[in-house]
Amino acid sequence: MAIRIVTDSSADLPSDLAERHAITVLPCYVIVGDETFKDGVDLSADDFYQRLESMPQPPTTSQPSTADFEAVYRDLIGQGDQVISIHVSAKLSGTLNSANQAKSALGADAPVEIIDSNLASIPLGLTVLDAAKSAQGTAEFQTVAQQVRQSLHLSHGFFALDTLEYLQKGGRIGKAQAFLGSMLSVKPILRILDGEAHPVERPRSRERAQRRLVELVRELSPVRQMAVIHSTDPTRAEVVRNELRDLCPDENVVQTRFGPTLGTYLGPNALGVAVTQVGP
Amino acid sequence: MPDLSGKELREAFARASVRLREYRETINALNVFPVPDGDTGTNMLLTMLAAMERCPDGDGLTVSEVASQMAQGAFFGARGNSGVILSQFFQGFSDALQEKESFSGHDLVHAFDLATKAAYGSVGQPVEGTMLTVIRQAAEAVKERVGNGDAVHIPGIWETAFKASKEALIQTPELLPVLREAGVVDSGGLGIVVIIGGGLEALVPGTDLTSLDEINLGSVSGPGGNFTKEGYLDTTLETEWGYCTEFIINGEGLNLAGVRDRFQKTSSSTVVVGDDRHVRVHIHAEDPGPALSYAVSLGSVSNIKIENMDHQNSEFAAGHGRPDTSPQTEMAVLAVVSGKGLAALFRDSGCACVVEGGQTMNPSVEQILEAAKAARAERVIVLPNNKNTIAAARQAAASNEALEVIPTANIPQGVAALLAYNPDQPLENNLRAMNAALNQVSSIAVTKAVRETSVGGVAVACGDFIGLLEDNLAATGRSPEEALGATLALADPSSDAIITIYRGYDTDFQSAEDFAQSFEEKLPGIQVDRVDGGQPHYHYFASIE
Repeated sequence: MAIRIVTDSSADLPSDLAERHAITVLPCYVIVGDETFKDGVDLSADDFYQRLESMPQPPTTSQPSTADFEAVYRDLIGQGDQVISIHVSAKLSGTLNSANQAKSALGADAPVEIIDSNLASIPLGLTVLDAAKSAQGTAEFQTVAQQVRQSLHLSHGFFALDTLEYLQKGGRIGKAQAFLGSMLSVKPILRILDGEAHPVERPRSRERAQRRLVELVRELSPVRQMAVIHSTDPTRAEVVRNELRDLCPDENVVQTRFGPTLGTYLGPNALGVAVTQVGP
Repeated sequence: MPDLSGKELREAFARASVRLREYRETINALNVFPVPDGDTGTNMLLTMLAAMERCPDGDGLTVSEVASQMAQGAFFGARGNSGVILSQFFQGFSDALQEKESFSGHDLVHAFDLATKAAYGSVGQPVEGTMLTVIRQAAEAVKERVGNGDAVHIPGIWETAFKASKEALIQTPELLPVLREAGVVDSGGLGIVVIIGGGLEALVPGTDLTSLDEINLGSVSGPGGNFTKEGYLDTTLETEWGYCTEFIINGEGLNLAGVRDRFQKTSSSTVVVGDDRHVRVHIHAEDPGPALSYAVSLGSVSNIKIENMDHQNSEFAAGHGRPDTSPQTEMAVLAVVSGKGLAALFRDSGCACVVEGGQTMNPSVEQILEAAKAARAERVIVLPNNKNTIAAARQAAASNEALEVIPTANIPQGVAALLAYNPDQPLENNLRAMNAALNQVSSIAVTKAVRETSVGGVAVACGDFIGLLEDNLAATGRSPEEALGATLALADPSSDAIITIYRGYDTDFQSAEDFAQSFEEKLPGIQVDRVDGGQPHYHYFASIE
């Protein structure tokens, strides 16, 4: 009997890391034209971004179904495990609805705790990773869930985008719409706050956005884990990682990529940094 | 100046109707008398169009034909109180120009005189401070001008009429208490001024109606075209206005004066015009029934139009007339900008409100305050974007504590400040970030030297182009691009600088593009953004960040 962590592919966790910590990742669906793909299963990030700019219509996404969740929960419970299911902000996706419905179907006493992370992408991923580490100890199922909920506010993420076009087309622009202007070449920096995208700054070039990203993350120090994430340009991610190398030990740094689900909203040339602050 | 032909008279009124169409909504928004129902502009325009429709077109027209046909068209197509009075204005012209091929200055004076008489005569009880007064004062002014022995040529007389009508319009609130209460000039009066002014434009090439912009039409001339004092229209809602009732009685040997007399006794806003065969009636009645029954007893009744003025009044008060200025957002940015492209850029980048203004046309304190109100935010951050506008912006802020000023002295500073704005942050943070942004941008302006000079060792010939760096003369050139290049070189941008070039109204796309491309080739690493600014006077603005 173990405590098992479940999340969805919008957490942008590298698959090897998920495997190592026995994290179950439910794929979100990405719809391109008439075709539906499972994020990370039958559509890789490389394939997705290669096709993105030539798509006649912008791609869309869809949450894992109730049936998907039910199957995963049944399987884990059947093995005698308890489940903590941590997901993308309910303000950005209906994933939590699917999870909650699946739990109801299993009955009131099913050992499943569902948590709205109020986050998305790798800030969610870092939270999930933390939870998995706690779960591998001897902690109580409810205690771990409690810890996760209490430490959500320590996860932060800043994202520098090339354009807000994808976020707008995808209907997830939120408060960032204040930065929608397109007449000047600005590279907006956004963050996730209270479960949705918020505007931070509008630097005039990628280079400056990258520099500001580093400065903004430094302001959050001290941190205990960090992640650097990109959509199509690994070189810039590498530079940022090196510049922030002193912030936390290498083994606590995750290097990852915006998968097709996040890529649908962030587009090419997106760059992000997430950290988990040292708690009280 | 020879006499005026029928064709010329027609052209004058055709021009007037074009102008009336442009002013329709403004006139509607001013409408508080006799009933605040916001339709004076529409009624005058439709009447004018009916007059023009009837009027023949062509070369050999006599002024008599033009005037009489217009009067007929207006008579049958008249709408509302103001429309019927306007039809009498044309009737006066028609009477004065009977059987004339062309008309002289003396005829014009006569026409204005008869127009006044017809207009006053049509109304049961003439009220001063309305379009009647405006017509009368125009007529009196031209009569006086001729009486003084001034040259009697038509353009001069028409111009005198225009000036006098404007002055009369400005005085309408002094004569009519309801206008004063509502804080507006008379709507129908403005219609007359626009018609006379439109005619003047056609008769005297080069004149235009811009002088109307200087007239203070009302209390709040916001972007919604609302002029009445806040809350005024609400006070009119309690009154029962009844039905606006209009029709034409057609018969033989009709007694015009008798009909007028009868309606004068039983209803308000009575205007009765016509002759012994056609009588047009306009009245306001609580019940239109008895009026129609009476009319039917005299002859056959046509062109019947009945409108519920209580509905019109409440719609007007709910929509046009009452500016809703309650704040809808916490914060907004207001920018003073000149040039279409720049206005679009500021809006695109998150500015809620743009006030037209720049180097030679600084907006008034009042304009800034009005625009800030229209932004409908609890706090408004003002970007003056010109060093001459900063004082007005500060004065505006001194009289309204909702306003904050970031002292942007030019467009590049304004853009930098705007890009530092984040509505997600509290006001204090924004003020700090926006002020800090001013120091992170260098500003360049390129313009043409208007006189020969020498500044700081730089010799400038008249007609040369000069580049200003932070407002100081820095370089000259034979072309705007040469001056821009030399100034940019002096500014010595760093290798990773971002330069933004705002092309002015007088600069064509290709020249700016060629310049930007060659600059990028020379200094790779520097990003050059191009904006079609469209600003007047300055061939280029440029910023270095």
